[in-house]
Amino acid sequence: MMMLAKQTLSRISLVAALAMCLLLGDGLRSSVSSVGAQDVHVSGPLAGAPAVKKLRIWRGMRLHVEPFFAFTIGDEYARSLIVGAEARFHFLDWLGIGGWGGYTVGKLDTNLAKEVRDKGVTTNANRLDLPDRQNFTEQTGRVNWWSGVELHFVPFRGKLAMFQKVFFDADLDFFVGAAFVGIEERTNAVGLPSPGDVSECQIEGDPNLDLGCLGSQTSRSKRTAVAPSFGVAFSAFFQDFLGVSFRWRGIPFSYNTGGTDNNNDGQIDSSDRLKQFNSMFTIGLIFVLPPKTKTTD
Amino acid sequence: MRDFGGIALLIAALLTAFPTATQAQMEFSLDEVDEGEAEPAKQSESQGDLIEELAAGDDDAADGPAEPAPQREAIAEEIYAVQQIYALRLKRLELAPSVAITLNDPYLKHYGLGLAMNYWFTNVLALGLNFIWYDWGTNPLERGTNIIPRIQNQFRLGVPINDWQMGLWVNFSYVPFYGKFKVRKKIFQWDSYLIGGVGFMRTQPIPVFDPAVRSFDWQTNVAFNVGIGLRIFLTRYLTFFTEFRAYMWPDQFENVDVAPDGAGRSDPATWLQSDSTFVANTSIQIGFTLFLPVKFEYRLPK
Repeated sequence: MMMLAKQTLSRISLVAALAMCLLLGDGLRSSVSSVGAQDVHVSGPLAGAPAVKKLRIWRGMRLHVEPFFAFTIGDEYARSLIVGAEARFHFLDWLGIGGWGGYTVGKLDTNLAKEVRDKGVTTNANRLDLPDRQNFTEQTGRVNWWSGVELHFVPFRGKLAMFQKVFFDADLDFFVGAAFVGIEERTNAVGLPSPGDVSECQIEGDPNLDLGCLGSQTSRSKRTAVAPSFGVAFSAFFQDFLGVSFRWRGIPFSYNTGGTDNNNDGQIDSSDRLKQFNSMFTIGLIFVLPPKTKTTD
Repeated sequence: MRDFGGIALLIAALLTAFPTATQAQMEFSLDEVDEGEAEPAKQSESQGDLIEELAAGDDDAADGPAEPAPQREAIAEEIYAVQQIYALRLKRLELAPSVAITLNDPYLKHYGLGLAMNYWFTNVLALGLNFIWYDWGTNPLERGTNIIPRIQNQFRLGVPINDWQMGLWVNFSYVPFYGKFKVRKKIFQWDSYLIGGVGFMRTQPIPVFDPAVRSFDWQTNVAFNVGIGLRIFLTRYLTFFTEFRAYMWPDQFENVDVAPDGAGRSDPATWLQSDSTFVANTSIQIGFTLFLPVKFEYRLPK
């Protein structure tokens, strides 16, 4: 899946780079003056006035507390359903720092996992990869908990209209930081008697031989991984103290998604971890403290 | 590959459900635009906008023309400028070339070039066509990801895969959201639209289970699509857009069972699975749109 992860990452990077170039690039800035988006420069009584008057300060020196529900996307074998919360404090209206955490409360097996469970075939040649197809979903890797700290930038904000009847403030929140994730994977094991012809396994830390590798298939180990995290959120505010956010977050890190011998060296170990571009989509409810919103002049 | 399309609908539903209860708080305040002063602009913006006209109510119509009262005192009141909608779509043709990147096919990479044409018969509703071409003459197996050999080696599992040639759809577009945002001293207008339609998708099974005997032609499938997009106006006629689209169709894949020689192996009727599989291709499309005619006129009240 390494190629797929790189491919996904490059796609998203391409989209982000294109968007940023369009919005911030010198080419656009230089051309916009002749063809472009509206200049705030106006003549008449508004000459010299700021671009926005009576700007509502949704973030500056305020705390956002955001309970959320999230689900991962693009997984090979299982999607995670996550419940968690996030807190952010903004020193300025466009800059803040925050932390988040969530727990995986459920998982949804992908069609591929179901195919393997229903139709996979086990022989001595692949017994280390698939000791028993019916237990395949028990051998796949998963993430039990998620957390992180992030720096938030809010360069774009504005207001939008729904059905030309309802208006509310909205902004785009870009963030980058570090994530800490609790990973659960298949325990290290060696296939015996030889790679490609496995009839039993030796589980790490267990002196007994595991006939058919059935014990190895469901034996689990846990670790914490540190990874970069980044993403973007669309936030809309409906009351002085209440808003909603839709957030995409990417967290690339390596783990053994299928609990399989991916490098074909006859054992399950850390070298079988595959780079994954893990990403999640989050829906959150924002509570803003203090609840009273100030405005600029 | 199959179940991602509901996200866009979920977002739309949440956005639709939330603000109605808090509508009063969300109106432009007196500090920005006074209601009385906003009336002329409101009239000027309602060109062909059915939703706006339905939503506007009949408060104004019932009042009729009013005699201005004699002015007794000088008024020293600050006058606010009310801005017209930056770019109107009404009665304009939109041409939109784009690239389409498939997000959720774990087996094959698909790269599409698209062209869309929309005619805006109100300021928020359009009817149009969009076309995407995927077949660039390359061997589809060379575009396979490395998950295919992994599945084959680790699970002894074959995966039937189909390649895509092209798709053509008739779509309705609706713009429920629009707004503006500030970047330094520029104000950018943007809108967000919902799009959906029906058409066809041409696909072809790639012979994997019995390539020595089987070969397949392109087959045409009825296809649907829904999506949500974001359009940013760079000028009054040129925009950058990106959209999330879910293209869905029932597809027939290669039969994983191979009949013995003399018992139907060479019979094309046995080469395809008897049941169709529902395929949902979720894509990101990025491109530019050009509105024609380039210029337009505001219809102002007299």
